[in-house]
Amino acid sequence: MDFQGITDRLTAVGAPGFLGVDEPRGKDPEVKGDKGRAGDPFVLVDPQSIDRFLVVCRDDPKLRFEILADLTATDPAADDENLWVNYNLLSVSHRHRLAIKGILPKSEPTLPSAVAVYRAAQWHEREAAEMFGVTYRGHPDPRNILLPDDWVGHPLRKDYEFPKEYHGISCE
Amino acid sequence: MGTLENSLEENVLTTKVDWLINWCRLMSIWPMTFGLACCAIEMMAVGAAHHDIDRFGAGAFRASPRQADLMIVAGTVNFKMAERIKRLYDQMPAPKYVIAMGACATGGGPYYKFGYTVVKGVDRVVPVDVYIAGCPPRPEALLEGLMKLQEKIKSSSVIRKPARTA
Repeated sequence: MDFQGITDRLTAVGAPGFLGVDEPRGKDPEVKGDKGRAGDPFVLVDPQSIDRFLVVCRDDPKLRFEILADLTATDPAADDENLWVNYNLLSVSHRHRLAIKGILPKSEPTLPSAVAVYRAAQWHEREAAEMFGVTYRGHPDPRNILLPDDWVGHPLRKDYEFPKEYHGISCE
Repeated sequence: MGTLENSLEENVLTTKVDWLINWCRLMSIWPMTFGLACCAIEMMAVGAAHHDIDRFGAGAFRASPRQADLMIVAGTVNFKMAERIKRLYDQMPAPKYVIAMGACATGGGPYYKFGYTVVKGVDRVVPVDVYIAGCPPRPEALLEGLMKLQEKIKSSSVIRKPARTA
């Protein structure tokens, strides 16, 4: 199925949290907040119901997205008040892909974990959590995966400040 | 075996103790099996047949720091690893030597500006004897560094000279 067919199917089954289709690029290239729109055409989903949306994507016989190819987040700009969360799905049986994005406010960056739907999400969510400060509710093992446990800050946020020293080792 | 046989049987060799001990040390620098990143691939190439680090007596890569004389820091050192490197260095028996191999171990390399987790030079964690430039260095460069280390060992003195009285 092509992208149009997938979005029609999502509308037909009434996938929870499905907000619509968004264009890859905004109209004005000067708007920094549109950076999260880079890439393939994608569907926009309410992050708070992403887990139920993914269940539909996985179990619907016409969609059958068996594989969670990627899960990450994006920080468009330091002064932007929103983060983007990105999910890429792949269906081996139907040979199609789907890019899902959601807009998450930086003031309260929490959303349900996708681990119950795709177990592959475990490590990806741990990485997105430590790099962007996103909290995934219901994650079974919410430790840091790459950074040390006592690391301060979220390095891939655009407003991240580099540490001055770590455990007595100067970072200058 | 003609004339040489039996001719050295009861002879004595005289040399300096410094020379003998240094010679023993520099001809058997056993490195630790310890690769951090892509430089380790070049280090493995040095260990393999074509470049053959065993020519310098340094081919016995030890799996334990307690049996090693030399730590080749081959790769990017990040803060999470730096504490482990310090611990491994502390576990090595003296005399112990460190080679910082490649740009990352020497000074942070390509991660100098934006690598938030990269230690900008392993000399901030352990004392370094020889730095090798390159990203990654050629195997010949590592051998050159090893020879520099041998020169350094050769010039060291084991015996403490008696203090001169004025």
